[in-house]
Amino acid sequence: MAAVAQVLSTNSVSPLREMGAYEALWAKTSATFKRLADRFRLHPEAVPSDFVDPAVADKFALQAIEILKRARVTRFGVLVHGTGEYPERLREAAHPVELLYYQGWLDLAESQCVAVVGTRAPSSDAAKRTRSLVRRLVADKFTVVSGLARGIDTIAHETAIAEGGLTIAVIGTALSRAYPAENRALQRRVAHEYLLISQVPIIRFTHQGPKQNRIFFPERNVTMSALTQATIIVEAGETSGTLVQANAALKQGRKLFILDSCFRNPGLTWPARLEKQGAIRVKEYDEIARHLAS
Amino acid sequence: MPVRLIRVDALILDNQDHYYLDRNDQCYFIGEYTARRGYKFSETNQLIFNLKKSPQLRGTNQWYWKEQAIAQAGRLLRTVLTVGLNQDVLRQTVFVPVPPSKARGDPLYDDRMLRVLDELSRGLDLDVRELVLQRQSTSAAHERDDRPTPEELAANYYINDECREPVPTNVIICDDLLTSGSHFKAMQSILGDAFPNVPIAGVFIARRVPQTDDPADTNAVI
Repeated sequence: MAAVAQVLSTNSVSPLREMGAYEALWAKTSATFKRLADRFRLHPEAVPSDFVDPAVADKFALQAIEILKRARVTRFGVLVHGTGEYPERLREAAHPVELLYYQGWLDLAESQCVAVVGTRAPSSDAAKRTRSLVRRLVADKFTVVSGLARGIDTIAHETAIAEGGLTIAVIGTALSRAYPAENRALQRRVAHEYLLISQVPIIRFTHQGPKQNRIFFPERNVTMSALTQATIIVEAGETSGTLVQANAALKQGRKLFILDSCFRNPGLTWPARLEKQGAIRVKEYDEIARHLAS
Repeated sequence: MPVRLIRVDALILDNQDHYYLDRNDQCYFIGEYTARRGYKFSETNQLIFNLKKSPQLRGTNQWYWKEQAIAQAGRLLRTVLTVGLNQDVLRQTVFVPVPPSKARGDPLYDDRMLRVLDELSRGLDLDVRELVLQRQSTSAAHERDDRPTPEELAANYYINDECREPVPTNVIICDDLLTSGSHFKAMQSILGDAFPNVPIAGVFIARRVPQTDDPADTNAVI
């Protein structure tokens, strides 16, 4: 082999090939984020294509692209661990992902990011609190990160955009899908003007049912926490998926803020429990701002 | 710290960001430059921004950042090119910087890429050569609307006879930012004519992701 080709092929990745290899690894029914992460832990320098036959990877890549094209996703990229723009902070997740799909403006991932998350069915008070919180975050130049779910997430993204701020959505579906469907336009807007991130394998997601796909939602909360310097919980029920993110934030050494109103709800046990584990109870934004600055 | 280059493969070419390149071109980059909206959050955006600071700023305190950027870019290249590799392979390769838009002797002549490659070579003793020179100064590509084609660029390039020997067996063309690919194609064409059958690749610090302002883009049916 010519030396130049040898130098470069040894030290490079092809995004298409890695994407196909990632999809192929996920095609095995036994695949989970944990199992994949365990495998890569044993081979820290590896990339997905080290474990998949190139012809197989290329076949899967074309299939995934076909699905994206049908969903009218024509412009997207992949972030591969070990290459330039992969956010190193993501390695602090319990099962770090080797590859992420994205659409939009990657440099937002390196801005000062704070996640605002909560219930899909917020009270009117919680909706109001979310809006005022996001306004203050935007005024302080934080990028508002959320999960594009119904409720608090949607309000967080919409308020950030309306206030002229920046936002990132870390979604629990493949790039080819918007969930809930009513957020399709918002998802497109985030993808085009801001940053949309998904770790969900496209082919697996498309071929299995909604029930099996539920596993992807909590996993994205772990990634969202790892991506951000803090998570703020506005309102969440006793069994909310938001609590996955809360636990991940504490485990990853991120700041976790819980609004005081959650503590005042007698039906909830999680606020006190998380406070004992290190979460910060806050009455107003200024307290959050002080902690973020320290 | 990135340890691998990214190939400009079919996935990236599909976006038409680098429309002069085709699937046979071996081009690689480290990061993505996305600063067209004025966001400079990412390290890559900041690096490219500082690398491109005009020589007019020489002597001002801005210049410090340019010097830092040159050193950082050299170190980055060294990391991605040397990890896990036999350095003898690298020594069989001639590293050629894309000439800056202003010719030598012009007060705005900016030899940043040559200096980045010197930084890369430090302690490795690599073969860095200004094999291609430019006859006349041009506007920097980002300052003009009518971007030159590879043919127009090549017409202004010539092979530097002073460093033609020894004849290269492998060439890596290096530049800071991959945009349309026109400079790479012009370099590839002039080097290909001078050294037929010598494999030529391109390595860039970053590729530029252009801003598409039409929101309909995301809804476009292919």
